[in-house]
Amino acid sequence: MLKRKMIKNFSWPLKTATREIEITRLYPEVMMELPDAERGIHELDATICIGCGTCARVCPNSCIEMVHFKFGSPLKNKKMQFPQIDYGRCMFCGLCVDDCPVECLKMGKKVTMAGWEREDIVKRPDFLATKRFTANEVADLEAEAKRIAAEKAAAKKAAAGKEGASKKPAKEGAAAPKKKEAAPAAAKPKEGGAA
Amino acid sequence: MTNANDVLSSIQSAFPGAVLDSKVESERRLWATIDSKKILDVCKHLTSKLNFDHYSGAAGVDWIARKEMEVVEIMASHGAHQVVAMLKVKTSRENPSVKSLTGLYWNANWYEREIWEMLGINFEGHPELYPLLLSDELVGVWPWRKDYKGYPDLTTGERAVQITTPEGYTEYHIPPTPAEVEAGTVVVERPKYPSFREREEREIKSDAEMIMHLGPQHAMVPGPFLLDVLVEGERVRKAFLDVGYIHKGIEKIMENRTWLQGITYTDRMCYVASLSNNECYCGAVEKILGLEVPLRAQYIRVILEELSRIQSHLIGTGEFLTLIAGVGYAPWQYMIIDREQIISLIESVTGARLTHTFVRFGGVRNDLPEGFADKCRKVLPYMKSRTEEFIELFEQDPIYHKRMDGVGIIRPDDAKRMGVSGPPLRATGVAYDMRKEDPILVYPELDFKVTTGTKGDSADRIDVRLREMLESIHIIEQCLDKIPEGPIKTDVKVPKKVPVGEAYYRVEDPRGEMGMYVISDGGDKPYRVKVRGPFYATFQTLTPLLEGVYIADAVAIAGSMDGCPSEADR
Ligand code: SF4
Ligand code: SF4
Repeated sequence: MLKRKMIKNFSWPLKTATREIEITRLYPEVMMELPDAERGIHELDATICIGCGTCARVCPNSCIEMVHFKFGSPLKNKKMQFPQIDYGRCMFCGLCVDDCPVECLKMGKKVTMAGWEREDIVKRPDFLATKRFTANEVADLEAEAKRIAAEKAAAKKAAAGKEGASKKPAKEGAAAPKKKEAAPAAAKPKEGGAA
Repeated sequence: MTNANDVLSSIQSAFPGAVLDSKVESERRLWATIDSKKILDVCKHLTSKLNFDHYSGAAGVDWIARKEMEVVEIMASHGAHQVVAMLKVKTSRENPSVKSLTGLYWNANWYEREIWEMLGINFEGHPELYPLLLSDELVGVWPWRKDYKGYPDLTTGERAVQITTPEGYTEYHIPPTPAEVEAGTVVVERPKYPSFREREEREIKSDAEMIMHLGPQHAMVPGPFLLDVLVEGERVRKAFLDVGYIHKGIEKIMENRTWLQGITYTDRMCYVASLSNNECYCGAVEKILGLEVPLRAQYIRVILEELSRIQSHLIGTGEFLTLIAGVGYAPWQYMIIDREQIISLIESVTGARLTHTFVRFGGVRNDLPEGFADKCRKVLPYMKSRTEEFIELFEQDPIYHKRMDGVGIIRPDDAKRMGVSGPPLRATGVAYDMRKEDPILVYPELDFKVTTGTKGDSADRIDVRLREMLESIHIIEQCLDKIPEGPIKTDVKVPKKVPVGEAYYRVEDPRGEMGMYVISDGGDKPYRVKVRGPFYATFQTLTPLLEGVYIADAVAIAGSMDGCPSEADR
């Protein structure tokens, strides 16, 4: 009786071992399938980021620093800054993603980011931005921004001439082309990621 | 059944004038400020007359603006009633000193030691007021006081001075600079007490005895702690526990983080049980905020917490098996493979494998993904059959029983007295489970049993864990059937600043009773967070439990507790 029981316990692993279960993962040749909710490396949509810095403020480890990035939208503000993430400190909690007011920061399924030096894992917006303006678009946008600024200045002058009562229409006029310009630019994003 | 009002009136009538201030928050929570001279009598009264036989812990709070300190004793009962009494004792900030409860409750020992080393509150009548978590060099500056500025930067080697000890060892010492002394960040005058080593060596009575170190790094429990056993031949005569090797100061860190950021830190207390830690913190804050959690979010939380319980028990049991060296048939690797399926399920919802940061104030972060229920319904029956197989394997194995039966027996009375909770307590036959005792979320609507053992030995603890997994599977199946559609977050906007208040919230962690005591002073950061971890209490019982056992059994006993020193040290 005793023996039979023991034999059963020894035979159990053999039985289980012959069953087809995946035990060894073929990483890195085959990456395991990650769910959609996966919290991997951040993806920044630089075309809509408004540079508000909310993500930097909410991060518990203060790993986000706002830095200059030339392929972001220069329409709103020339000095606008974009998040740079220090992955040496990031714990992938996702608080920054939750709090982004325009939902331009996401977390993707990319999870590998080894580097040789500590600086290698401080990722600039160049790396993070999956969507951004191309150089041409930036030039166009800059010209557009200049035009708007000039228009504004002209409107201001005119408004000053008309006793400053018509500030509002000038503003509205500036806002309208902005929107128009941003939409087509966002539609043809440049695949990014070259760090 | 006794409720908080009855308890309050009973104290008031027995000791007129002893209750300085009181608040009955609900039927199950009583807050009372007790005259510091009467606290011992009140506690005695509660224990003998009102069945408060569970001393659940103590928290120290530094009220710097009011120039006083507070010790909050958390008292509960093992099933006789469901009231948790939070008894506050005040003391001046100048020379803080309160009466020790170690004479009444054995397990007050560690809680009071911790408060002493962190806040400098003296406990009159405490038999061994030695530091618990901090190392000797750091005791004496009271880091949890509100006016504390932080330890000096000792990470640089430039300032180190080499000294040679009388025994011939080389040690490095970093002398404080005058500026640091002035800022009060270095210990100038250390309290006098025998060091850990001196305390151990004091106990050596004859040449036949010696001290054996198990740890701080050893495979027994995932996390470093030092277990020194004084052995005479094969027998352990006395055990000494030194903890604090991974003391992270999470409670203090959380005081310096916003309410929302605090959630991420609860994950790191015990990553195997991070969802219940999240739940505990968020539940406490929700209580202060008075937030209602939408029904769907409650169900999601329950589903995930139970899944997390299954994976925690799987890894706990598996680890235990590798410890008792059942290599020939240890199902450790099978448990890990199975656990992978559960982890993938959780990951598909939360996006992370272990540190989830998933629960939010008044809801959860993500909704269940499409097809989650189907995936669950596929995995759960498999898990069930596997678990039943495991139970059968354990039950019928004669070698396992020869090895494990009667090892590390805790009697129910002792377990209650020592404040053990979770599977180690239930294995003794005491059906004490927070999900029934202090029900939260939708647990009252779900049908499940509290699994108990009979003997309270190591084999029983494992058996209780395995059978608890079956209950968890049953709970999840019900949840999947019942879960309604709806929002996953409250529509009330969660404010950045939490109104003044305090709350104590308990959940059933995989390891037992996890409670968090959260105080808000109306700011955007918590004023104080106290974590009453389940393993802290179980950990403390290791030393008496190991007295008189064989050395080989020491590993088996400690392993069967499914420990997590990370959570005990915080
Ligand atoms: S990523 Fe979002 S939160 Fe961060 S700066 Fe841009 S818009 Fe603001
Ligand atoms: S994921 Fe968390 S730690 Fe990482 S950058 Fe965002 S907020 Fe900071």
